[in-house]
Amino acid sequence: MRRPVNRLRTGSALVALLALTTACGLAAEKPADQATSTEPIVIGMSLPLSGPVADRAKPGMEGYQYWVDELNAAGGLLGRKVELKVLDDSFDQQTAISDYTRLISQDKVDLLLGTFSSDLNIAVAPVAERYKYVYVQPSGGADEIFARDFKYLFFAQPATTQKLPDRFVDLIAGLPADQRPKSLALVQLDDPNTTQAAKLFGERLGALGVKTVYNKTYAPDTSNFDTIANAIKQAKPDLVINGSIAGDGISLIRSFQKVSFSPKQFYQLNTPTDPSFAKSIGASSTEGIFTYLAWSPEAKYPSNAGFVAGYTKQFKAAPSEDAANSYTAGQVLATAVKAVGKLDQTAIADWLHKNTVETVVGPLNWDATGRPQGDMLLGQFQNGKLQIVSPKSAATSADVLFVKPGWSGS
Amino acid sequence: MSAETSAPRRRVPKRWLIGLGVLAAVAIPFLTPSSYIHNVLILTFLLGVLGSGWNVMSGLTGYVSLGHSAFIGVGAYTAGILASQWAVSPFLVAPLGGIAAALVALALSWVTRRTRGVAFVIVSYAMLELLGLIVRNWSSLTGGSQGLLMPLPDWDVRFHNWPFYYALLALLLLSVAMTSAIRRSKFGLGLVAIRDDEDKAAGIGVPAPIYKSLAFMASAVLVGVAGAIYGYYVSFLTVSTMFDIVLSLQVVLAVLLGGRATVWGPVLGAFIIVPLAEVTNTSIGGVDAGAFRLIMFGGLLLLVTLALPRGIIASVARLLDRRTAQAGARLASTALPVAPMSSRTLAPGTDLLRVDGVTVQFGGVKALDNASIVVPAGSITALIGPNGSGKTTLFNVIDGTYEPAAGDVVLNGKSLAKLDRTGRAFAGIGRTYQLPRLFDSLTVLENVAAVNDRFEPRRLVHSAVSGAEAARATGLLEFVGLGEYVDAAATDLSYGQRKLVELAQLLMLDPAVILLDEPAAGINPTLLQRLAELIRSLNATGRTFVIVEHDMQFVLALADQTTVLAHGKVIASGDPATVSTDPAVLEAYLGDDFVLEPTTGPRP
Amino acid sequence: MTLLVQTVILGLLVGGVYALMSSGFSLVFGVMRIINLAHGAMIVLAAFLSWWVWDRTGIDPLLVGVIITPVMYVVGRVLYRLVIARVHRIDHELAMVASFGVAIAAGGVMALIWGTEVRSATPSYFNTSFQLGSVVIPQAQLYAFAGALAILGALYGLLRGTFLGRAIRACSENRDSAALVGIEVERTMAQMFAIGAATTGFGGAALSVIYQFVPDSHYVWIGRILCVVILGGLGSLLGAALGAAILGLGEALTSSYVDTRWATAVPYILIIVILLVRPQGLLGGKLRADGARA
Repeated sequence: MRRPVNRLRTGSALVALLALTTACGLAAEKPADQATSTEPIVIGMSLPLSGPVADRAKPGMEGYQYWVDELNAAGGLLGRKVELKVLDDSFDQQTAISDYTRLISQDKVDLLLGTFSSDLNIAVAPVAERYKYVYVQPSGGADEIFARDFKYLFFAQPATTQKLPDRFVDLIAGLPADQRPKSLALVQLDDPNTTQAAKLFGERLGALGVKTVYNKTYAPDTSNFDTIANAIKQAKPDLVINGSIAGDGISLIRSFQKVSFSPKQFYQLNTPTDPSFAKSIGASSTEGIFTYLAWSPEAKYPSNAGFVAGYTKQFKAAPSEDAANSYTAGQVLATAVKAVGKLDQTAIADWLHKNTVETVVGPLNWDATGRPQGDMLLGQFQNGKLQIVSPKSAATSADVLFVKPGWSGS
Repeated sequence: MSAETSAPRRRVPKRWLIGLGVLAAVAIPFLTPSSYIHNVLILTFLLGVLGSGWNVMSGLTGYVSLGHSAFIGVGAYTAGILASQWAVSPFLVAPLGGIAAALVALALSWVTRRTRGVAFVIVSYAMLELLGLIVRNWSSLTGGSQGLLMPLPDWDVRFHNWPFYYALLALLLLSVAMTSAIRRSKFGLGLVAIRDDEDKAAGIGVPAPIYKSLAFMASAVLVGVAGAIYGYYVSFLTVSTMFDIVLSLQVVLAVLLGGRATVWGPVLGAFIIVPLAEVTNTSIGGVDAGAFRLIMFGGLLLLVTLALPRGIIASVARLLDRRTAQAGARLASTALPVAPMSSRTLAPGTDLLRVDGVTVQFGGVKALDNASIVVPAGSITALIGPNGSGKTTLFNVIDGTYEPAAGDVVLNGKSLAKLDRTGRAFAGIGRTYQLPRLFDSLTVLENVAAVNDRFEPRRLVHSAVSGAEAARATGLLEFVGLGEYVDAAATDLSYGQRKLVELAQLLMLDPAVILLDEPAAGINPTLLQRLAELIRSLNATGRTFVIVEHDMQFVLALADQTTVLAHGKVIASGDPATVSTDPAVLEAYLGDDFVLEPTTGPRP
Repeated sequence: MTLLVQTVILGLLVGGVYALMSSGFSLVFGVMRIINLAHGAMIVLAAFLSWWVWDRTGIDPLLVGVIITPVMYVVGRVLYRLVIARVHRIDHELAMVASFGVAIAAGGVMALIWGTEVRSATPSYFNTSFQLGSVVIPQAQLYAFAGALAILGALYGLLRGTFLGRAIRACSENRDSAALVGIEVERTMAQMFAIGAATTGFGGAALSVIYQFVPDSHYVWIGRILCVVILGGLGSLLGAALGAAILGLGEALTSSYVDTRWATAVPYILIIVILLVRPQGLLGGKLRADGARA
């Protein structure tokens, strides 16, 4: 005669559980509905604060931090204070997805800001799109992220990888034919950002008659660059374009030094804007290296000087490109919210599609897919300093070194 | 890993508790609209499915995998590629993801057919990394580092995660049901036997390669399906997410925490680990959050291994289950039951087993040197000789442990040279060991029920603890005098009792020839006498014995014929009385004061 | 031809680095059957220490490596006492899992202390080479190679020529018999584990000069060490050296002649090939485990 008793107990326990869960569900929903204008606006984000790109995410987070402090000092947004809710995804896509889902559906944040790297943004953008949240991403310009025609996605740099080679290729095209490099080595990390850029470089320079004599992709775990450097040396290219992301670019330069190979021209993606770049390879070895920049501390855009000065004061260090990128994303979001005058995601997105925003990387506007319509800057190390050499309007140095001196110390 | 979980300790939670849990899981999407809670549960279910799969390979079979998330990757990419090529819903092709994962598992079992222990762990990790690199580099098919886009879900946003949620919940329940079924089956017994002692298992008719292949496939198939659904859920496949070493480690932590080789351990572990990870993700902030999380995760792993090496379920069960100690070791001194009949007996007198000129060499030492013996059907042959004379080595040649440099072993007119140990067990060779080798995580009954006298796929699903197999095993245990110990853990038995269980295993196998390796060593006189009676009564049913023994009185009283080995060579052969007076034998082994007593113990 | 010669030289030098990294690991496995997955973390710890001292004082990092060898010995001793000794008697695979827990947590601790920035010691010779005709020999790698030879030689001498070595080998062959003849097994084990850890002192120093590293770098290194050791035959020092050379060469040749993107797959492919062809590794002896138990 035990069964009926059990069944009864099961039934009542189930009812109690249902009641409890329902109560919790309702309780969780209330605050969002009753949000009043005195409560702070919460902006959610998840950053790769641990894991392989942690050293670039930290300045990124500080850029956001600085932006919020500055915003609050000026009275906040829509008359309300602004708070950041920052989660750590340890550079794991699933965690990033999970974090943004949580921010949207559990924490019910008012606004989102984007995370770092193409890898993470390509995973997170669909989540924001699905829930119709404006998603301004500070970094990660792989063009394919924007190939899905999302309406709520915006990139806070001047261009995606699609237009990344433009300035450098134009510079080469501007040279007399006999002064152009004859041969090209492409060597890149296997990453959506770099492989696509390298492909474009190969095609565009090929059209100028530059022959590709070496074209290899290396895996993210690669630590032995000596053999790669040696193989490139044996291929004897004039120009080397290295699609690097971070430390891999430094490793390749060190290996070039070891095998005593210095190309006539050397262009590197991403790595040279890392604050520790000059220290890692020696300041004098940086001479003549080209790279692209989304932002420059010297650029004469209205808010830029204030940002550089304020940030330096607050963090006792000059802002890195990553810090500037997140600051830019914040500027984009704040400008749109102020213009719309309410926290209406669709209205904010619509406004951004139609208008131009003044930022520290210059005026930004977007096409229907969220691709920005600007161009990157072309930089080159000259006398230990990263100078902008193109476009002319933003240039900080009038000269371009077309023949890189040999490495120092080799 | 040798988790100590035997059948009687397997504590199935009360049925209503399970029902309640399932109902709650089914109801949650209706109760809370929070996609975040759905998301956490989806990840929990995924880890639960992965953990249950891992548990079959690593908990039950003992092959510890550090690369189990590879099956998620294989399932996800298979479904992703097929869904885009055939333009169908990934749900439709998810089962194919499971099949692909099972095939990869089959390949893994083939590659590692001779790999055990820590080497296997390393191979499993290598498999994960290598598969990840292949997927990454095969970019024309998989999108490489650009990733593979899955279609976005096309149902209404209100139901956003429901299909993923229920699909993974169903897979989790299926995984638990599968583990539970395996654990109760004869197949499951075989897996545990492999984990405890793979060589011994091979000798009692557990074909390890087949069992391992099946277990690996079972371990991967549902994980592959879950991977396909998970991939669709993420909507974007990259190598770093789908072949994720962190997930592979999380699953180890989850199952260790919950309880290895238990049915519900992986589920419990998943329900602890995933929410815990979520809480720490969101509660620890600041730029050092990552470092703190690493310290916490690593510390937890360390703590579990140090404090809870058997997991929560086994530890709790042990607390609840302070079983009364078994009644003292005592043999039934009643009259011997009737010996079970053998189905293999041959006409007495024909040559059943022939060892022809066998030579075995270890380095420069010849352990056996052109040794030959002939064992007639229905006989008891004593194999004697000083220590190191090659007796056990001869057994190892007969049962296929060693491959001889020269010579052949012939059973019933057929050479055994091409057969492995399991093949020889099926052909009719059964042996015991000097130090009895039992499966310590199994009960006495399970130890005997694990035996197979032939391989039949049908039999794999037979229940291990009930039905005809179990009844036969119980009968054999009663025959050897251990009827009261069927449910005892093998570890609770005395040394002598363990020898009797090994004998019962052999009777279950019912081989043509029974090889006993020093059965009399280290057991008390009462048991010795009992053993002699058992051997005689079994011999009376037509069974054939070869006995290696140092207790001359014991063995020569039993034996019909005797072979003496010294330095790997046969120095004498014949009936016991003649051999025991042979001067060469006396000099080499017995000593010249040896006198053979007429009998030991009464003839039945 | 220059390409080939240069590739082979670079590959062998990298092999030397691998041998250096795996020697202590192989020793510990050979005797205790323990896969110490915290070995990579110890190497990275030693790399941080070398880099840190070099950064503060300017003392040559490789020299610092020699100085911190006793520090790593103590680290090994502590790790053995607190963790390994408690679990390895229960279960070897459990000891492996526990050591992995240590590795993960150690990564976090190092990130707290030194941050997650990419580090590298850059003494004067870090990027220079000796020139032999058209072939170059990177200096730092050559020093690491020499260090590998010295450490392997010392370990070999220790095992063959000293009482401790004989005790270690006795424990490795049969722990119970070793105890019977009066060897203090636990103490020998602790000693040996700590010696294995001590080898990471110079290994880490070499890492800090030759490569860049972050706290998480230990994952990469433990992967390669496992490959080297499986390849050479678990527990064989000479095998580990041979395995390291083959791995270094294999990676270099793959990178130059097949495709750079397959270079990181070489360790895993080698593991699987060796298991199919020769499961006991190149120099691993055939174990008589089964027969011995019988």
